[in-house]
Amino acid sequence: MQIIIDGKKIDAVYGDTILETCRKADIYIPTLCYHEAFGGQGRCRLCMVELEKEGQKKMVAACTYPITEKIEVRTSTPLIKKTRRNIIMLLYKRAPNSLLLQKLFREYECQDNSLKEDPAERCILCNLCVQACQEIGSNAISLIMRGTDKRVASPYDEASEACTGCGACALICPTAAIEMVEEGNKRSIWNKTFELLACERCGKLYTTKEQWEFTAKKNNACASDRQLCESCRKKAVAEKIKAYQAAEH
Amino acid sequence: MEKILVVQPEKCTGCRTCELVCSFVHTGEFNPLRSRITVFNFEKVGLATPIVCQQCSVAACMEVCPVGAITRDEETGAMLVSHDRCLRCKMCTIACPFGATIYDPVSDIISKCDLCGGDPQCVQYCPSGAITYQDPIKANLAKRKNYAEKLRVVYEEVV
Ligand code: SF4
Ligand code: FES
Repeated sequence: MQIIIDGKKIDAVYGDTILETCRKADIYIPTLCYHEAFGGQGRCRLCMVELEKEGQKKMVAACTYPITEKIEVRTSTPLIKKTRRNIIMLLYKRAPNSLLLQKLFREYECQDNSLKEDPAERCILCNLCVQACQEIGSNAISLIMRGTDKRVASPYDEASEACTGCGACALICPTAAIEMVEEGNKRSIWNKTFELLACERCGKLYTTKEQWEFTAKKNNACASDRQLCESCRKKAVAEKIKAYQAAEH
Repeated sequence: MEKILVVQPEKCTGCRTCELVCSFVHTGEFNPLRSRITVFNFEKVGLATPIVCQQCSVAACMEVCPVGAITRDEETGAMLVSHDRCLRCKMCTIACPFGATIYDPVSDIISKCDLCGGDPQCVQYCPSGAITYQDPIKANLAKRKNYAEKLRVVYEEVV
């Protein structure tokens, strides 16, 4: 089917979101809580676009709005620009300690105001970490509390048995709000401290025991007793080749 | 049929050109640590061999990936990582029996051989013809048949 985006006729797949359709057509829409692995969440509202349907105008989140009929979409009207600026301002006030939000605050030419802020806060509650943890199958963290107290936490703010210390939450966080600390052979995240697994051959610390076991459970290939880092696994293969070569000659 | 990378250790001189080329075409930098192919030099016995992703038919990296970020390219048969989809959980790096899937902290991506989209540059630049890109049937033929069979055993043992 065809829809109109910013005055241009664009091919769209029935059921695809406005955001997906725009990305395919190289039309830029800013996002913060969207991820390819699980799609739109409609949380940050930065992807707002204007939509016209049967003469009626409204604003929708492009990342969650599925295209099921002929619509006209506008991605950067003055109203949209103003809305995005407001959203960035609010997110900045929520997480003033985030470098990303500080940068966006300047880029969107936001004005500061007297809204209360916590100068140390970095989390914008985009939920990407929670979603990633869920996809991985650990479900170690979630959004807790309501309203202004809302935050991401492990159950009762204690060490979660399900957490494997993989750190995907810290890497996916757009505002670097999740602290993962590595010291010596220990890694700490979400109130849990992990002992890092040392490669049997070279001693390199390459994962946590919990993550190794989690992966091994999913795939028997790595369930062999040997716990080798990537380099030593390669080396082990090369040594086998050497042994066979020697036997050949 | 898809072609595969065939390594002949008896031809490899251990010059590491493949590592440099691989690193350069993928990262713009001549840094063997960021190469997706790694050469092992056993100087005492005079043997060297590159180790690279086998694009396994049953690929551990693909099997463990929780979000389907690793898929097989229909044309080349290479196991490709969608970096936009990837969650950086690194399970694939733990699961790969060859250690051929690694996390590159510089570019924050999972890095593995992608067969350069069907024109592997290591093959182009290897000065001694130790890496070839050919269809698996020919690769197993004739003289090397016996040897290839043994290599297969090697790989299977490692798996
Ligand atoms: S690191 Fe990325 S590609 Fe590898 S298993 Fe995790 S999500 Fe999949
Ligand atoms: S990207 Fe659409 S609401 Fe966040």
